[in-house]
Amino acid sequence: MLNLYADRGNVQTLLRRCEWRGLHAHVTPVRRHDEVRLRDYHLVLIGGGSDREQALVAEALRRRRREWKAAVEDGLPVLAVCGGYQLLGEYYQLPDGTKVPGLELLDLVTTAGRPRLIGNIAIESPEVGTVVGFENHGGRTVHRHAPLGTVLRGHGNNGRDGYEGVRYRNVVGTYIHGPLLPKNPRLADFLLSLAAAYAGVAVDFPPLDDELEWAAHRAFLTRHAGVRGPR
Amino acid sequence: MRLTGRRATSFPGLVALRLSPSLLGRLGRQLKKCIVVTGTNGKTTASRLLAAILAAQDPQEPPDAWIHNAEGANLAQGVVSALLEHTDWRGRLQWTRAVLEIDEATLPRVAHDLPVQWVVVTNVFRDQLDRYGELDTTVRKILEGIRDMQATVLLNADDPLSRYIGLTAGRPAVYYGMERGMAKPPERETMRDGTLCLRCGRPLRYEGFFYGQLGVYECPACGFARPSPDFMGEYDGASLRVTGGGAPARFQLPVRGVFNAYNALAAIAMARLQGVPDSAVEEALRRYRGPLGRMQVYGTDPASVLNLVKNPAGCDTVLETLCGEDVDKVLCIAINDLAADGRDVSWLWDADFERIPERGRAVLCVTTGLRAEDMALRLKYAGYPTGRLEVVPDPDAALDRSLEAARAHGVPVVHVLATYTALYPMAEALRRRAAAAEPAPARAAREGERP
Repeated sequence: MLNLYADRGNVQTLLRRCEWRGLHAHVTPVRRHDEVRLRDYHLVLIGGGSDREQALVAEALRRRRREWKAAVEDGLPVLAVCGGYQLLGEYYQLPDGTKVPGLELLDLVTTAGRPRLIGNIAIESPEVGTVVGFENHGGRTVHRHAPLGTVLRGHGNNGRDGYEGVRYRNVVGTYIHGPLLPKNPRLADFLLSLAAAYAGVAVDFPPLDDELEWAAHRAFLTRHAGVRGPR
Repeated sequence: MRLTGRRATSFPGLVALRLSPSLLGRLGRQLKKCIVVTGTNGKTTASRLLAAILAAQDPQEPPDAWIHNAEGANLAQGVVSALLEHTDWRGRLQWTRAVLEIDEATLPRVAHDLPVQWVVVTNVFRDQLDRYGELDTTVRKILEGIRDMQATVLLNADDPLSRYIGLTAGRPAVYYGMERGMAKPPERETMRDGTLCLRCGRPLRYEGFFYGQLGVYECPACGFARPSPDFMGEYDGASLRVTGGGAPARFQLPVRGVFNAYNALAAIAMARLQGVPDSAVEEALRRYRGPLGRMQVYGTDPASVLNLVKNPAGCDTVLETLCGEDVDKVLCIAINDLAADGRDVSWLWDADFERIPERGRAVLCVTTGLRAEDMALRLKYAGYPTGRLEVVPDPDAALDRSLEAARAHGVPVVHVLATYTALYPMAEALRRRAAAAEPAPARAAREGERP
């Protein structure tokens, strides 16, 4: 259900990058009333959605909170984007003060704010280098974990502390979509290697011909993270 | 100000609005008849068709006797521009009837200033999310606007989001929709907005789809369902049979594709509600010329077809139409990310570009514009071979490359897809190349006709 901001692109990127290396991967779309046994999976993606959809998803997932907590502590790789990222924390506080409870997997809270933080974003991550994309969120997130990276241009978690996203065990949380993975092949392969290690499969990840990927990545950095262009 | 040409459609209004914020109200109050067309996709085509039909009612009147904001100038400034164009020096409107295309986010802001009697909602699709926030906002904006009007609403029965508006707006509602026999089962799991019931949050069950999220739907949990349309359309690829509000009649359409059949159905339904005879409808459809970027054909060498793409649903219908043509082709796709395009290009990943490698018969894809690389990447992950993919960021050079490759491969057509700010430059470039490709005697003869 949380599949709004082109999260299909993330799934497709992971699938293709496995396929190009001769690896087999299966994707199971999860619907709201589906029973998910987390131990059957080696990588979980949670995408973004409208506030209404997000509240519905939170309510459904919370019923299996303990199983989620155990899996994450055990090293289950999770990529959570935008609404999915907020869902990993304790709560999302709406403008009227109501707190929509999250999965409480991380020591993280989000408060609705104005204006929405919208625009192109580039960050520097110690693990995967520069990560580029687009952000569009009303929520301001703060947490006590390591960030995914530091903001080079854009707003990040809350527009104040210069951090973007979260890293905890094998969890990656971020506000960056656009979608996230196609233009950031190092991050995509990083997630795949986490998944392979978690699955206990010994595979190496030979480099692919990523000329177009890096061309898009570089074009973005030149236009948006360098000196502001004449627009 | 007119000297700056057709691209300045919103400019006079912007200046006037800055000087006098109450101008829209002062001009708007003078209208005796006001029909508004809003929704995500198709409002330009639907409102233009409707304006043409209404103007054809009385051949004695000049064609601009109905005020209409042409060319998608659909924000507050655009509406003021259209009204100002028909105002004399004392500030009085020369004509007092209007068909106005209004952007869905602008609707609540102008609702108080216009005496709207009828509102047409074409559909509610995902569109430029970074401008409006999220999808639910679009539904809310339209609802807000309609609640502030004393109007009757004409809605798309096949769109669950429009149906929700009809049920909750508290205004009288009339529905149009397609014959359920036309609905087909989905080809592939694509992203469809509004697949959850807006009333209770459960997934909607679909008997079949017309396109995008439009189909025959119901919510198994709360009984929310597609209403039986008051105006029913049956489209066969060229003509539309309309039942309801008069004797059943078949109309030849000047526009192609199911999405345009919906636009025509909305316009014809509204025309019938206004008591326009079928003969005037037929006459207007015969003389109609489409707005820019809706399947225009240019006489370049070889021929090219220009289409606007701006969101997944609209883009899918374009892709469906061009992939349905069983000939080899070259594609030239121009993607910009300026404010009018939407800064966020993630929508490219929700559009079904997989159709191109599957059955598009594209011998070459040239990507161009400010986001040429993003577009190329999208095609790569859709499964299109990178060996037949070229990134040419300069639009003029990209067009030349596309035409040249088409000639070299003996391919009969170049399909040009462009986002909003890439559309005018592309149209101009195509027009120049078409003029250059025209044989000299034909050009001389044509120019000789003009004084």
